[in-house]
Amino acid sequence: MIAGFLQGPLVRIIPVGLVLLALQRTVLVDHQIDGVIIQLMTAASAAAGVAGGSERGAVVGFVFGAMFDLAEGTPLGSTATAMTLAGVVGGLLALIAADPQWWLSAIFTGLGTAAGVAAVPAVRLFVGEEDPFQQQLAVVVPVTAVAGVVLSPLLVPLGRWMLRMKRPEWKQPAADASL
Amino acid sequence: MAIYSVGRKRIIIALLLTSALLLTLDLRGNPVIDRGRDAFAVVIGPVESATEVVTNPLEQVWNGIVHYDDLEEENLALQDQVDRLIGTQAAAEAAVIEGKELQALYSLPSLSGIDTEVARVVGSAANNLDQVIEINKGSSSGIAVGMPVVNQAGLVGKITSVTRTTARVMLVTDSRYVVSVKVTSSDGSFQAPTDTTPSGLAPDEIADAATTTTAPPDTTDPDGTGTDLPDGLPVPESTLPGATPPPLPDGFEPLVDDNGDPLSDEDIAALIEQGEDGQDGVEGEDGVEGEASADTADASADESTTTTTTTIPIVEKEFGGLEGRGRLLLPQIRFLQDNPALSVLQEGDLVETAGDSESLAPAGIPVGRVANRADRPGSGGPRLDVELHADLARLNFVRVVLYRPLSEVEQ
Repeated sequence: MIAGFLQGPLVRIIPVGLVLLALQRTVLVDHQIDGVIIQLMTAASAAAGVAGGSERGAVVGFVFGAMFDLAEGTPLGSTATAMTLAGVVGGLLALIAADPQWWLSAIFTGLGTAAGVAAVPAVRLFVGEEDPFQQQLAVVVPVTAVAGVVLSPLLVPLGRWMLRMKRPEWKQPAADASL
Repeated sequence: MAIYSVGRKRIIIALLLTSALLLTLDLRGNPVIDRGRDAFAVVIGPVESATEVVTNPLEQVWNGIVHYDDLEEENLALQDQVDRLIGTQAAAEAAVIEGKELQALYSLPSLSGIDTEVARVVGSAANNLDQVIEINKGSSSGIAVGMPVVNQAGLVGKITSVTRTTARVMLVTDSRYVVSVKVTSSDGSFQAPTDTTPSGLAPDEIADAATTTTAPPDTTDPDGTGTDLPDGLPVPESTLPGATPPPLPDGFEPLVDDNGDPLSDEDIAALIEQGEDGQDGVEGEDGVEGEASADTADASADESTTTTTTTIPIVEKEFGGLEGRGRLLLPQIRFLQDNPALSVLQEGDLVETAGDSESLAPAGIPVGRVANRADRPGSGGPRLDVELHADLARLNFVRVVLYRPLSEVEQ
């Protein structure tokens, strides 16, 4: 069991999550864009989904979200659900292309981030919070999505490393000239 | 890239169900999860400290490059504000003392008897939904869930969770925040001083005088009435808004008459009555003349600030519930019944906590001023947007009012 843990992705996901969480709670709170806190951990979850598929993205998102909930005092599982969805959406979008270009990965990451951020108030609504869809959500979602796009070139390789994955070595076969 | 299959849905579904289970357990209250939070706080603490050590120099360089001009402008504006406040503080303190004496005379409740605990803001919410800050005092300092939190300007929020050494404060702007308040009138003639310079200096002269003409209250006096903060920064005990201020600090003199003798309470009361009879609340007319002589440098040694105070009858208009609406929107008062026969709710009205027996906040904590009035059709009554006195974007030190509502004390 211990060997399985050491050889699995969690041994990398948790330390990376701690560092990202620390950055989220310090630097990104101090440096907001138009009053919006960039959701680095949600973007990382989406990027992990883009890099490793929806189920691995869901695992990364769940772990990151649980860590976020534990640190922030938000209901445990609320952000975990949202980040899980971010990873799933990122992974599902990545199915569109077999070996997506970096810019396509960036778009997928941004969309996954947007889905995760938008899911937070939805989850809060389910747990009984009144009126969680605040007006500022119209600003928060696009800004965090763009931040996810910008950070994607860093976060996708990071997600690949966390999940112990390598870039696919196969190449798409060239179009047959005789056809 | 991973290939998607139907079987892999199970992992996702299992994770979502686990989240739902954790949510249920947490919302119902689970000691294991609470201990987990405490343990995780211990784990994440050193990581955050290390991150700050690494990123602080970079942040400071960035701020130096990007925000230097803003800082200079802000410094000038604050200097002007300090000059103005020094001029009005002495007279205002005298008026507050007078009011508290009257309160004591009629055995009215006062904030002066409530203990407070100074705390430093050490963090804020890392998401875009919650308006929450974290302070560095907890249950070991007597802080409990529900206690109101103020700064020198007014109400800031309330305690929502407490550990032994830290506590979380839900700000007034959080959409889950509600507190009972009362709207009072000061005859509606309030006008914020916008372009007055009691220091006598033109705005462009303020920069030159900034280093010589200012003598703010000596807040670093270690043997004063201050409370030692973790960093050794004392905060005067009287900073609870609405409470009786301490004796005037060094650099200030009490109100004096023409002969230079300090005015007695009776003299002050008589002058206030004159003000009530002959004035309508506009600054600059004759009234109480107070000298706030600052301990200034030679460049402005002969400068004196004349401040006019006018006592305006306070009228309680209406009670309601103040609700936060997120960071971008002003908090709003609901459950109001506007009855023009009694009073008219209007912009500029003062808002302070009502302090009923069920309220978590004592009566009399200043909250803000009515900024907008939104009338609604039907009998719903108007809604009032409230501009808070406290600047929630710049909280460094706050004061937790160690207050328990009467309903809890009786239990």
